Amino acid sequence: MKKSIFYLLLVSLFLCQCQKDSSSLSKNSGSVGQGGSLARFAITGNYLYSVDENQLKVFDISNGGDPVLKNTEDIGFEIETLFPFKDKLFIGSATQVYIYSIEDPAKPKLLSSAISPDVMRRCDPVVAKDSVAFATLRTNGPCGGTQSVLAVYNIKDITNPLQVATYPVGEPYGLGYEDDVLYVCDKQRGLLLFDISHPYQPTLINISINDGSYVDVIPYQNTLICWTTTGLILYDITNNRNPQLIKTVN
Amino acid sequence: MRKLICIFFTALILFSCDPKPAEIPVPMETYVPVYASMSDVQQISVEPEKATINAGKIYAYQNYIFQNDLYSGIHIIDNSDQHNPVKVAFLSLPLNTEMSIKGNYLYANNYTDLVVFDVTNPARPKFIKRVAGVFPPANQEYPPYTNIYFKCVDKSKGIVVRWEKQNIPTPNCRR
Repeated sequence: MKKSIFYLLLVSLFLCQCQKDSSSLSKNSGSVGQGGSLARFAITGNYLYSVDENQLKVFDISNGGDPVLKNTEDIGFEIETLFPFKDKLFIGSATQVYIYSIEDPAKPKLLSSAISPDVMRRCDPVVAKDSVAFATLRTNGPCGGTQSVLAVYNIKDITNPLQVATYPVGEPYGLGYEDDVLYVCDKQRGLLLFDISHPYQPTLINISINDGSYVDVIPYQNTLICWTTTGLILYDITNNRNPQLIKTVN
Repeated sequence: MRKLICIFFTALILFSCDPKPAEIPVPMETYVPVYASMSDVQQISVEPEKATINAGKIYAYQNYIFQNDLYSGIHIIDNSDQHNPVKVAFLSLPLNTEMSIKGNYLYANNYTDLVVFDVTNPARPKFIKRVAGVFPPANQEYPPYTNIYFKCVDKSKGIVVRWEKQNIPTPNCRR
């Protein structure tokens, strides 16, 4: 009996070793990492999506080490941002946001582009949570406008985002959220925290975080990873309303 | 009367023979393109960790954090000890701006190409594959700054791999 258990163990160990073999032709069912709100590469499912000034490119990465370009879509002009959300892609350009369906992930299909330039513009990093989207609209540079704001959208009907609230900010860039706290990078005012438990009414949390000039954030595994103009700053967000400085990495 | 005319003409001649000093061009802070060949641009290597020069986009994957250094490569930070994240390597990747990871594969741009690395050991990315000519060339028209002077690009000299600040007289381009 002991001998058979021993051999069974040997066999199972052997099998485990085989499964660890990561040849470049094996199916990639691994986990996906997380990028910031300013990324122009995005992975969802078995596809890598990439935007440049005019086009969306779709790469099949189901064979992890062997990506294949499957599709190129002409989107428009001055494309800047790419945000995958469920089975959709939000693509921001100079004049509007294009919403593509990736129900067939290799063949993005334009759902809607009839969105007012006042609602969402290209310089606007967007994050979505359930049926709400948050974007920062910045006035300096080519984006235009008169007041930089954090804008909130009702996206229950995803082809028709409705702006429901704005909050004035200084010079906003990237943003990200962890549960009911939204982190907004403001080059003038520092890292801003908003309580978004009532998402249509973001409330500024009274805390001053000014350890650098913030460009974008990724909340990840209880850490807030901040891209600053000199490198990185990391905060412990175990209490997400009270970031504690861990370290600067420049 | 003749004397007056004589004096007048003499004065005229004297003044007309007095040339203004030539304008000397003043050296100005200018971005100058640094050119490289396609094979230089495709040179990829894993190097020891180093200081961040042009902090760029960030990416998180399991215990590691990656930060692009604009047009230069990717800093790799080990965050296994969340109280003490440390840089462990620099992936030198010319003209890189983006990255994304799934499973143990890191996808990044290298000029006009998509490149793939095996990051089973994230501190030692291993180059696996290149998909050439899938992205438009970046950084080839002007430096990534505004309100600056720069030396116009001469495409016959190669691919602009980075820009360097120098003081040169009469820069011929501006943005």
